[in-house]
Amino acid sequence: MNDTIWARNPQGDLKMFIGGGLILGIVLFFGVMQTPIQARRPLVWLVTFLSGGFMVAYTYWPKPINFDAKTELPKNGVETVGSFLQQSFGVVSSFVQIIAAFLLGLGIFSLLRIHLMNIARQKKDWVFSVILLVSMLSMIIFGYWDFMIRQGEKAVDFDDPQFWRMPNMVRDFLFDGLLQQMDAAMFSIIAFFILSAAYRAFRARSVEATILLGTALLVILSLMGVVAGAWDDKVAALAGDGKTGSADFIMNFKITEVAGWLKNTFQTPAITGIKFGIGLGTISMALRIWLGLEKGGKA
Amino acid sequence: MKKGGIPKFVIYALLIACCSIPLFFKIPIPNKPSDPSVDFYKTLSALKEGDVVLLGSDWTGSTRGESKGHMKAILRTLMRKNVKFVIWSSADPQSPRAALDVIAEVNAERVANKEEKFQRWTQWVSAGFYPNADVAINAVAQDVRTAFGSRRENDTNGVQQQIFKSPVMQKIKSVTDFDLVIDVTASKTTDFHVQFISAKNVPLMFAVTGVMVPETQVFYNSNQIKGFIGGLKGVFDMEQMMEKGINVKDANGKIAVASDKISGEIAPLPGVSVGQGTKYYPTLHVALLLMIIMIGIGNYEMISARKRQKGNG
Repeated sequence: MNDTIWARNPQGDLKMFIGGGLILGIVLFFGVMQTPIQARRPLVWLVTFLSGGFMVAYTYWPKPINFDAKTELPKNGVETVGSFLQQSFGVVSSFVQIIAAFLLGLGIFSLLRIHLMNIARQKKDWVFSVILLVSMLSMIIFGYWDFMIRQGEKAVDFDDPQFWRMPNMVRDFLFDGLLQQMDAAMFSIIAFFILSAAYRAFRARSVEATILLGTALLVILSLMGVVAGAWDDKVAALAGDGKTGSADFIMNFKITEVAGWLKNTFQTPAITGIKFGIGLGTISMALRIWLGLEKGGKA
Repeated sequence: MKKGGIPKFVIYALLIACCSIPLFFKIPIPNKPSDPSVDFYKTLSALKEGDVVLLGSDWTGSTRGESKGHMKAILRTLMRKNVKFVIWSSADPQSPRAALDVIAEVNAERVANKEEKFQRWTQWVSAGFYPNADVAINAVAQDVRTAFGSRRENDTNGVQQQIFKSPVMQKIKSVTDFDLVIDVTASKTTDFHVQFISAKNVPLMFAVTGVMVPETQVFYNSNQIKGFIGGLKGVFDMEQMMEKGINVKDANGKIAVASDKISGEIAPLPGVSVGQGTKYYPTLHVALLLMIIMIGIGNYEMISARKRQKGNG
């Protein structure tokens, strides 16, 4: 048996783990609060370095293949480290997800603080703050109420609206009736801006702009089934059914072929190049943060 | 530069009129599915009864015009082929609810069509939402049993159980045990899927929004994904292929949906296949046509203005 502490099932000793986690959290919280301000930045950098170091080690350290930590022992030091990293990864990922989930709590706290202050001081447009808080609380209350009902009455098929009760209906109205509709409405407004911009800005002012305009029009036309079908049929008719070289050449002028050529020959390499550049930039930024070279990373 | 002659409200009114009118008529539109769409459907069609698919739902109401259509078409196909699936999300907390609502809609459609309802726990499970998409997708790729280990669902007796005790997850020991991974997405989760899941040699496919098509094409061209459907055209492609099959001749000997990506033919999938893709595609046509006209008018105005300036000069 070669389980690391991470490989233990926390649900087996749930109370102990919750209690232990709580005590450790409180100790860490007060520990950090008591740390002198000058020491906080190096502390943050140390945590960043260790976290980043784990991910680097996990990515590059050789790991044993088909290794079962429950029944096998590592053969050497390399396997021991590899096995430890392998077993620890899931837990480290959970850490990251839990920390990310805490950001949600921080966001709610921040929203409450700002908008309650707005309401208390009756600042300009404080009514909107009331609407925001009421909307947020309604969604939380009815969301959980709906969830509790669904969990509590397992025999009922809540997919069928005829079995819904008031909280289920209100949840559906808030989520599907309001939030989803408003989301869609906001997004669809973009269509108006795109059309207006196409009219006012998409103009053949220079050679480059004309090339861009021409290629864009070809790709747009290739997306229109009616146009693409008619164009391609016309080209096929022109080419005839002969298997000559000229027929093959003419078939290259099908709009779907032209659009495909544009996508595969120009668009894909351009995007690959951009992504490659972004990747290099990300690596350099990550290295700067990891090594504490970025301003604010280390005192 | 001086603003063009057509006032904004006229352009907006034109768009509203042009996009609304086709919704009231049934307009048949010819279509040739794109190569990535054909590959997407071909891979889906090759799934067998009892296979298990990991289905990512990373979209919300804002892109439902496209993503909901993708999700419905994929679910209809999986359910009709009796393929089990696991739903999960990592992009937005709204995504799981959006997916569950679509599953309920497709199930209601099946019941109305005298088909059996696809049962939660025995035929599909939800692994829920995981914050921080890159870490979540990496965790699933490295060790799916730890990543989904704490998630629970009600079994058929109403008792909460770990999802790995569900018949859906019986054979899943690692991500490579999934027969296919699909992500219906409107976000950067495509990059993370390619980075972590495609690297494990698991068949991977995407259903992306129209604006994501160019960057997804890169993964398709490099064979990192098996296929993808993009935007409303992707929904229409799927619905057409499900409804009419590929390279299948009708009674008059005509092929409704042809593709040279398939050597033989793929038979139509029985049941309700037509949906929002078929309904909205004419609207997309009209909107694109209107855009081309507006670009034409804008350029005509620019050229006329230049000629006038030259004449005055």
